[in-house]
Amino acid sequence: MIDLSSPEDPADGLAAVVALRRLAERLEAAEVERAMRAGWSWPEVAEALGVTRQAVHKKHAKRLIAAGVELRRR
Amino acid sequence: MFNHFTQDARWVAHDGPQIARELGDSSVEAEHLLVAIARRDDAAARVLHAAGLDEDAIVAALVAETERSLAAVGVSADSLTFSPFVETPRFGRSAKWALELALRIALERGDRRIGTGHVLLAILRAERGTVPRTLAIAGVDREALATEIRSSVVGRP
Repeated sequence: MIDLSSPEDPADGLAAVVALRRLAERLEAAEVERAMRAGWSWPEVAEALGVTRQAVHKKHAKRLIAAGVELRRR
Repeated sequence: MFNHFTQDARWVAHDGPQIARELGDSSVEAEHLLVAIARRDDAAARVLHAAGLDEDAIVAALVAETERSLAAVGVSADSLTFSPFVETPRFGRSAKWALELALRIALERGDRRIGTGHVLLAILRAERGTVPRTLAIAGVDREALATEIRSSVVGRP
């Protein structure tokens, strides 16, 4: 439920930018993990996110390996 | 940079990245240093605790600040669950700025060591951003807290 309305006070709008950036980071962490647990490959996740395979691997591989997620190589 | 830091202040710089990671954040910011100070048991920490700001209360206010900021643009989000990042988060702009300012505050005062009180004063200096908004939500008067720190923690009789 996003209405994309601007708050009256710019301070609230800018704080929303900060909160949305943090939310996007967390959502990425959660959804990449969900996809990999569901058997997606790195190239598939990268394509869905619109980033390179190297980028998504570099950002999430260590964390998922540490969490014991079984990762597909291809 | 930590040569002149007291042992407690070194712990704050050490715990900041740990706290950022525990909270699922990818960079260390001033709010994480604030939580790290509240985790100590020195004079600065006790002033925070007396103002109702123990570790749990600050984290709760941070969550409330995020929810309120998201709500201002019509976004609501359930808490997300994911496995924690294993890399140590790097220091972000607000945390670097707070540590540098703590050093300057100590120099200006002629204090030889930089303690948690100086770091706290530096964090409280910010007028905009996550920390002042979070303190407002927690019902804490930022200026009064800084005055208390100046008089009872870093002040010299």
